[in-house]
Amino acid sequence: MIRLVLVLAALAAVASGCGGNGGSDKEKTLTIAVNAPFSKTPYVGETIADGAELAASSAVIEAKGTKYRFRIKRYDTGLSARTAVANVRRAIADGAIAIVDEGTGVDASWRLARDADVPLAVTYQGGEGLIDPIKRPNVFRVAPTDHGMAFRLAEYLIPKKLKVALITDDSSYGQEGKKALDESFGQNPESVAMRLTVPEGAPDLAPQVLRARRAGATALLVWAQPTTIAGVISAARSSGWNVPVYTPPTGEDPLVRQQLAHKPDWVDGLTFASGRPTAEVGAGPFLTFQKRLEDRFGVQPVGVKTPDGADVVQPPDYAMYSYDFVNVLVAAIQQAGGTDKQKVLDALDQVTVAGANGDQRGFNERNHEGVVDDDVYFAKFEGMTYAPVKDDPLSRTLVPIEQRR
Amino acid sequence: MSAAQGALGRTRVELAAAGREARAAWSWSATLWALAFVAAALVPLVLPEGRMADLAGFVYLALAAVGLGYAVGLAGIPSLGQGAFLGIGAFTEALLRAKAGWPLLPSLLVAIAVTAAAGVLTGIATGRLRSAFVAVSTWILSWIVLLLLTSFPRISGGAQGLVLPETTVLGHTVTPTGHYLVALTLIALAILALAVLAPRGPGLALAAGRDHPAAALGLGVAVARSRLGVFAASATIAGLAGALGVELAQVADPSSYGPVLSFELFVAVILGGARLPLGPVVGLAVISGFRHLAEEIGGFRGLPPGRLEEMLTGYGMLLVLGLGGAGLLPAARSWWRSRTPAVRTSSRRAEREPARVANAEALLARGLSKRFGTLVALDGFDLDLQPGHVHALIGPNGSGKTTALRTLVGELAPDSGTVSIGAAKLEGPSRPRTLLGVVGTQQATAVFADLTVLQNALVGAGLRRQYAGPFRTVFRTPKARREDGVAEGKALEALSLVGLHDPDRPAAELSAHEQRLLMLASALATQPRVLLLDEPAAGASAAELDSLADLLDQLRDSGLALLVIEHNLRFVRRVADRVTVLEAGKKISSGTLTEVAADEAVRTAYLGRQRLS
Repeated sequence: MIRLVLVLAALAAVASGCGGNGGSDKEKTLTIAVNAPFSKTPYVGETIADGAELAASSAVIEAKGTKYRFRIKRYDTGLSARTAVANVRRAIADGAIAIVDEGTGVDASWRLARDADVPLAVTYQGGEGLIDPIKRPNVFRVAPTDHGMAFRLAEYLIPKKLKVALITDDSSYGQEGKKALDESFGQNPESVAMRLTVPEGAPDLAPQVLRARRAGATALLVWAQPTTIAGVISAARSSGWNVPVYTPPTGEDPLVRQQLAHKPDWVDGLTFASGRPTAEVGAGPFLTFQKRLEDRFGVQPVGVKTPDGADVVQPPDYAMYSYDFVNVLVAAIQQAGGTDKQKVLDALDQVTVAGANGDQRGFNERNHEGVVDDDVYFAKFEGMTYAPVKDDPLSRTLVPIEQRR
Repeated sequence: MSAAQGALGRTRVELAAAGREARAAWSWSATLWALAFVAAALVPLVLPEGRMADLAGFVYLALAAVGLGYAVGLAGIPSLGQGAFLGIGAFTEALLRAKAGWPLLPSLLVAIAVTAAAGVLTGIATGRLRSAFVAVSTWILSWIVLLLLTSFPRISGGAQGLVLPETTVLGHTVTPTGHYLVALTLIALAILALAVLAPRGPGLALAAGRDHPAAALGLGVAVARSRLGVFAASATIAGLAGALGVELAQVADPSSYGPVLSFELFVAVILGGARLPLGPVVGLAVISGFRHLAEEIGGFRGLPPGRLEEMLTGYGMLLVLGLGGAGLLPAARSWWRSRTPAVRTSSRRAEREPARVANAEALLARGLSKRFGTLVALDGFDLDLQPGHVHALIGPNGSGKTTALRTLVGELAPDSGTVSIGAAKLEGPSRPRTLLGVVGTQQATAVFADLTVLQNALVGAGLRRQYAGPFRTVFRTPKARREDGVAEGKALEALSLVGLHDPDRPAAELSAHEQRLLMLASALATQPRVLLLDEPAAGASAAELDSLADLLDQLRDSGLALLVIEHNLRFVRRVADRVTVLEAGKKISSGTLTEVAADEAVRTAYLGRQRLS
């Protein structure tokens, strides 16, 4: 028994030496966790991780005589809130200085991060209630909000005098979107032909699309997962209905185009809302960011071609959000003079950096949203690539990003 | 002396007896188990708090796997619904805590009760199905629960899941370490209970129902009820694990409780070994190891870990099949035993003389008829079985002999006619008849192959036990322990009577004749008044026939009423006092050997050139 206790004590001593961040006293490598659905929606997961990694790999700061480097550790949520929460626990145990999160499970995981004084940044999901600087002082977001996108969509579509069928799928993403759309179109019921929830991943959505047509819809607003969007377009176009289709950012997911690759013209006209990749300063900063990202990780091929046979690549618009947050974090550590977690959290409310698209990114005590609702723009597909629309005041000022290779 | 003092005194005596029994049964393996538990309880001292949540989560999942082991291992119910029961427990707990604001304990109790009810309902719905259909039905249940939860994101919480408030007990937050210790205690209790139950009354009854349901029914085992009970218990354990697991995770989301989890738990049970209490835990640990290995390889090679994990698990299953299909732990145990062959020395023998039958009564059948479609299998069959007599029922193949026996023991309901013993009319299924002392053996050899010789006989001896329910058995109450001793005595007596003197030998190792003797011993252990034997001499050598005939003589002399269905006329001549001959479901003759032998109808229809007397 005594021997057992001694062995356990020895193990405890060894274990206490493990964990934490590596490096000597004069140089430390800090871990930033990326908690994203790498297995379920690889495009989203990889985009977030690549952006964070690009920022982390180039960030070296010195504070109070210690040089800090950064590394990224990936945790796969599988789109499960429970796994996401468990990952946050693991990340904290792994000594993560911050968590860059896709957003799944944040309603539960933020408390764990708060108890460990670890900042948590949502860089994809836009659900209302995720961010509350008073109740959740450690939670930040660098991504367009559902609320902002839904209101911008309403603002864009209602003046067109369209009768919009609001189609959502039964995924959590779709249901969050439904809430936002109900709110944004609530004041203009005459613009809504019908509201419809369809099953995610259903093989044939023709009956539902036919219902929308019979209800007098002159436009479809599909807030759903990429496969559902492709299904709706497929059902509409195959019945000869050339109705305009509008979507949130999932419309630009390569999966939509891949699923419709056999009928490229069906994608033409698809319009999506997203955070603008370029700002008033022009396309320069974003193109620089894009080049750096491509140099490091390669281009992200969509897997389809333009009508003239060029390969299409995906602009890294969502990667810039995780990239920007990591840069804000690095600046906060610099300002805090080290890794004192409470000081870093406080500094996150004070620092500002130039974002990948040239916008200023930063937070304050009252606002933890890094992307303002006014930054939502619209882009329309043509020939498997997209460009900002011309009939929206903000969008028409933006420069198209080259997507042909 | 007051009544309280008396009760205290009796309690002290019983506790002392229990302590003595525990000390006597204590072995080096028990010491190892105890040390393993203590070592596991000390893990929080060496593992950082941040890692404890993962470990506690694993132990809760392992608890659900052990629960599944009850259904799969004890009863052979291939449930693919354990993930659904985990989900029901978890979401009941989460809804009560997050939406209704209930405190921890009441919500836990309700979650357990709801899951138990779901388990009972599912058990009733699937109870009569064959194994493959049980697997499919429970798999469908897993899908239904998942689809229900995902279809109502307002209830299940959507992408964010259903977030629970902090778990507190008496104002203190329950940390992951606290959860780990709770989970460890629960799993230790579940494993201990399984280890206690499996070799005793309830476990033996379940094993008998699993190995040969018809034979188990014939010995009065309430197969359906015990299977329902163990299925509900399995679901309840999953509900408990789900409810506590969601308290640990602090969030419930439907994707965590789908069919994939059900399948993973089932694979864990099969992989580790369903028949050993620790098997499911080992299986789950192996799968968990596969997951970590897949993550490592995936991280190194840039491959998706999910697919690698499935591949590794698939190879693991192939390995188990290659090892004989029993699972890793049983394979390891077999290997260990093959290195250290055990010497079976049994001093447990009982008297060879059968006890006198108490309340011996005649069994009377009147006008029994049974049709299968247009075939008349039994037509107005009458039979008198007198105590202290051997009655042979003979006839050509297809004459209705076995149908008659199955009707007498309640396996088949007659279309018309009555059966009675003394003043009691025998109606309905087997068990009440068995309790009244009417017991039959199967035509085909039907022993419980995974049990030992003694355990086979104990299945029969368990019939008349009053204090052998699962709770009394698990808690080893004085009455249950006393009954254990009595039942073992009866079982050994029956075994000794039929000449089987190695009670610890696996039944599967016996010869065909020995297995038929074991069937007879199991039937005798029920303390029958009327014993109906279907071809007891099948496959016996001449010497074995003589020995069997001597045994039947002894049984007759003890006052038992015996019916023997037999084709071996030499054996019939040797043992029978009276003979009834059946032809096409009708009795064509009945009487003494001489009377029947002289009957022209019998000669024409059956005997031909054979001689009966």
